[in-house]
Amino acid sequence: MKALKRVYMALILILLYAPIATLIVLSFNSSRSRAKWGGFTLKWYRTLFQNEEIMNAFYTTLMIALIAALLATLIGTLAAIGIHSMRQRTRTIFMGVTNIPMLNSEIVMGVSLMLLFIIGRIELGFGTILIAHITFNIPYVILSVMPKLRQTDRSIYEAALDLGATPFYAFRKTILTDIMPGIVSGFFLAFTMSLDDFVVTYFTKGPGVDTLSTKIYSEVRKGIKPEIYSLSTLLFLMIFVLLVAVNMASMKESKKELQKNAAHLAKHGRKRIFTRRFVFGRVLPGILCAALVVGWFSSRTGETLAAQNQVIVYNWGEYIDPDVIDIFEEETGIRVIYEEFETNEIMYPKIKSGAVAYDCVCPSDYMIQKMIDNDLLAELNWDNIPNIKNIGDMYMKTSEQFDPGNRYSVPYCWGTIGILYNKKMVSEPVDSWQILWDSRYKDSILMQDSVRDAFAVALKYLGYSANSTNIRELTEAQQLLMTQKPLVQAYVVDQVRDKMIGNEAALGVIYSGEAIYTQQENPDLEYVVPKEGSNVWIDSWVVPKNAKHKENAEKFINFLCRPDIALKNFEYITYSTPNVAAQQMIEDPAVRNSPIAFPDESVLERCETYSYLGSDVEEIYNRLWNEVKSR
Amino acid sequence: MKNKLIDLVGITKSFDDVTVLDDLNLYIRENEFLTLLGPSGCGKTTTLRIIGGFEQPDSGKVLFDGADITALPPNRRQLNTVFQRYALFPHMTIEENIAFGLKIKKKSQAYIRDKIRSALRLVNLEGYEDRLPSALSGGQQQRVAIARAIVNEPKVLLLDEPLGALDLKLRQDMQYELMRLKNELGITFVYVTHDQEEALTMSDTIVVMNQGYIQQIGTPEDIYNEPQNAFVADFIGDSNILDGIMIEDRLVEILGTKFVCVDTGFGQNRPVDVVLRPEDLELVPPEKGIVRGRVTNLIFKGVHYEMEVMVNGTALIVHGTRMAAVGDEVGICVDPFNIQIMNKPESEDEEAVTVEE
Amino acid sequence: MKNKRKWLAAPYGVWALGFIIIPLLMIVYYAFTSQEDGRFTLSNFSSVFTATTMKALGLALGLAILGTLICLLLAYPLAMILAGAHVGSSAFIVLIFVLPMWMNFLLRTFAWQTLLENNGVINSVLRLLGLPAAHLINTPAAIVFGMVYNFLPFMILPIYNVLIKIDRDVIEAARDLGAGLWTTFRKITLPLSVSGIISGITMVFVPSLTTFVISDLLGGGKILLIGNLIEQEFKQLNDWNVGSAMSMVLMIFIVLSMMVSARYDREGEGAVF
Repeated sequence: MKALKRVYMALILILLYAPIATLIVLSFNSSRSRAKWGGFTLKWYRTLFQNEEIMNAFYTTLMIALIAALLATLIGTLAAIGIHSMRQRTRTIFMGVTNIPMLNSEIVMGVSLMLLFIIGRIELGFGTILIAHITFNIPYVILSVMPKLRQTDRSIYEAALDLGATPFYAFRKTILTDIMPGIVSGFFLAFTMSLDDFVVTYFTKGPGVDTLSTKIYSEVRKGIKPEIYSLSTLLFLMIFVLLVAVNMASMKESKKELQKNAAHLAKHGRKRIFTRRFVFGRVLPGILCAALVVGWFSSRTGETLAAQNQVIVYNWGEYIDPDVIDIFEEETGIRVIYEEFETNEIMYPKIKSGAVAYDCVCPSDYMIQKMIDNDLLAELNWDNIPNIKNIGDMYMKTSEQFDPGNRYSVPYCWGTIGILYNKKMVSEPVDSWQILWDSRYKDSILMQDSVRDAFAVALKYLGYSANSTNIRELTEAQQLLMTQKPLVQAYVVDQVRDKMIGNEAALGVIYSGEAIYTQQENPDLEYVVPKEGSNVWIDSWVVPKNAKHKENAEKFINFLCRPDIALKNFEYITYSTPNVAAQQMIEDPAVRNSPIAFPDESVLERCETYSYLGSDVEEIYNRLWNEVKSR
Repeated sequence: MKNKLIDLVGITKSFDDVTVLDDLNLYIRENEFLTLLGPSGCGKTTTLRIIGGFEQPDSGKVLFDGADITALPPNRRQLNTVFQRYALFPHMTIEENIAFGLKIKKKSQAYIRDKIRSALRLVNLEGYEDRLPSALSGGQQQRVAIARAIVNEPKVLLLDEPLGALDLKLRQDMQYELMRLKNELGITFVYVTHDQEEALTMSDTIVVMNQGYIQQIGTPEDIYNEPQNAFVADFIGDSNILDGIMIEDRLVEILGTKFVCVDTGFGQNRPVDVVLRPEDLELVPPEKGIVRGRVTNLIFKGVHYEMEVMVNGTALIVHGTRMAAVGDEVGICVDPFNIQIMNKPESEDEEAVTVEE
Repeated sequence: MKNKRKWLAAPYGVWALGFIIIPLLMIVYYAFTSQEDGRFTLSNFSSVFTATTMKALGLALGLAILGTLICLLLAYPLAMILAGAHVGSSAFIVLIFVLPMWMNFLLRTFAWQTLLENNGVINSVLRLLGLPAAHLINTPAAIVFGMVYNFLPFMILPIYNVLIKIDRDVIEAARDLGAGLWTTFRKITLPLSVSGIISGITMVFVPSLTTFVISDLLGGGKILLIGNLIEQEFKQLNDWNVGSAMSMVLMIFIVLSMMVSARYDREGEGAVF
């Protein structure tokens, strides 16, 4: 029986700690891809401290958790004392309200606060996250303090008054001491909750502010940076050691109390316990807080000084070499505030709502057309972008399809959509979209989780245009996608990469740029643009109309068009560059002439760019796609 | 001679390396009211829990009617327990609480109803059937706990300090109630308490325990009048325990004076403990006393005065109905029959410790 | 004195009004107004009561109920073991189950991808043992698994907290009165721990019902729950009105479970921490 209990407990603990062990192991994996073990390394622990984005997110997380927990503890403790001395009726009302954030779902709370902030014209950012966190933290404090208050003996307080103490002094010395454990545990609860929160932060955060959670969420879609693993491991181990130490101390303490016969021993012990308590109760947290504050300020001072001279960039995930930003900041003294999106559809409402004034955005072709149609973009001043001469003419020409007259956009990257397949799992030659409907590959197919790409695949397979607005054709495509759904392993965006590298799937729909990287990691992979044709896309830089730093944005765009910079970017993100000067500079001839990166014209002739179809048709696409996904 | 109903043979029990019971041997006769008496931590509750089946002894056997029940779980023993803190089921009404054991035994509805009614009458709680335990006072809850136990008609009722949480008046009432129940039901009671007065009032047999050892077994009179060692003497009633020397048979020296006594067989010139009960000491005019002393303190106690008399540097407690003023010189007399001689403890274990309560 | 002291709750009162009550009213307002002209309308709800949304809601309900049930079945025995283990301090128990929270929730859930994948750790172990590989990732089962994993502590702690408060005497009394182990559990332990069970159920059910992260991470984007739809409305389709209407429908279920928990947990004894 006892053994059975042990086994059961062990199983549950394994369940709880298995993912943590996995993450710790991944932090020592020298391969960037989680799907492959590339040998043991400590390099992510070194690069972690140079990764400003992650460190910033980390400090923001800690600062928010700390400030939110402190303020919530203050407000909550006062509230608990107040509520405790209320009459039954008011108390019930207050406790009822207190229970709302505890029992309400995070998503409802998140969206409700988001609505409040947007309507109240409170700019989403650090402050709004803080307010939201304080809001869901207070109930934890109140609910930790209330039981202790109920246990306090009023007569002790009265005894203190009787002995001549002032009410405040008596309160401090009796009631406050009694409820202290509740306050402390409330604080730690609030701190932990705040640290671990994602959903509420996700809805209340603004641009440039990221907590670890939101950072990780955007990275989950495009592959997590190994530094995140190393940071989490460090954090976890630190807390683990700290908590175990505190716990051991308190356990020894209670054991010591049992030794009542040996008075001298007890005296000795108490002294030691006192020092231990002092160390863990005050010194350590104190050091922690100090380190936090110093670290945060040191990482922020540069920013506040340069607050006016900045450029807010909104780009696809993993779509720029971080060094390029550093070089730009160094050369120009302009601070880059960098934020990422996963799909055009996620990016668009943010620009449209105007809640954030981005200076520089990198949407795809059809989205640029939509933004032009909705009057969201500012015309570029070409005098500020002389490096435009490096961009190949054919790309500028293609751009005219969505940006007539080349007034708004500067091509950044381009590519095709095709099928990435594993030669070991797919023996037959792949040349048609048809293979994505082959039931032999059930659960081995990865589809793109984006409306236009998914529909382009189906429409092209059916022989229609990828820009079809014909409802009959679209419904037909939808039906096709629905019949495909049982065969699909997952709808993902950038995760196709890791999954294909890890041999998780046989076939995946992917952008040509990703294909080059995956081939480097897994030579069994091959990329093909099917014979029915596909989409060719161009992502270009644009400046939104409400940009506050348009000139800086143009400086930034011009900088990206410099051949050496474009080359550096190409090598990092492996997406085809329209920068002819940069292409010429590629050293490896295999890459310079790669059919994937720079396909011949026969391939491009089969492909078409997306165009903006108008909001009505777009809504039809969205609805049809939602039906596919939720069916 | 009534037969042994429960027989504890060589029971040893320790918790976390602390020995609570060490080779304890004890039997309980049928229809007996047996009290386990001692300070807290003496092992009395552990003994009771071993009889009840809640603890397993490390070694030794529990015999019930001659059969070994050591390994039998509590639900299969023919005895019931009244717990110190009542242990009523908080989510059940009084009626459901009392019916609990009967329902498990699958008794008929009618039988259960009758039993509940008579049990509630027995404990004077008619009309409380539908209340929840939390709506009852401590004394009422205790009576429910007793009713819940006795409806099962156990052969033995185990009571673990059942009156400990009640105030004095209620405690006295309940003592009478328990004695009445015992007489009416004719079952064996094993009663645990640290209150010597309770033990003396109710018991047929008292077992005085200390530090896991039985100090003395006897009737209340035996225990009170003839304590076998200083611990028992000190624990039961007030007493003056003095160092003495047994000069020879029937002569003991205490307080620097030789006293005639009735005890024999201690040898010659042996150090002994001598017990003098305060009420056995008689105050007389100084010239008539065996020893002389001076009154140093005086308290009025209602039926008697309690006086502290200093005799040759030793303070004696004396109870008397005649008052002597503080500072008076008095003589003290004692009947030889009331001088109780005891051997000095031989080992550390047996040494009387300060009573905590 | 006592009268004055209640004003200490005033800052909280203002805060709660501003950041708890008003935002909720905001949702109600948006749910009943049209996106175009801001007038009163019920049309938002007509897009809620469509096959797609109802299916997502039904699926969320089903998976959440299943997940909650599994949590309960796993947590109860564990809570009993823990409560019976006489571990010196309950702080230690809480520690064990709160500690994983210091590793980010998304990362922990994400890590299950690596464990559950076709070529993941679990299947590798199965293969090593010569057992057939299981297809786990991107199925409803994986989502239920994620719910159980993430919310199990919220079931264990309240049950553990009520179990340790049950007087040992009461259990012994039942045994003494002839109840066997099973009867004692059924008639005493279980009824006395109802408040913990109920609060555990609400603590697990509501987040399971409304999650979009778990289905996102472990469902491969194939399985949309009501949470995913709300997230899409707010973050991608930018239709706050329909999103609010969906949130309101969701809140009905939340309020229902809150009412149930309030009924059984008047004294707040089933608190998690």
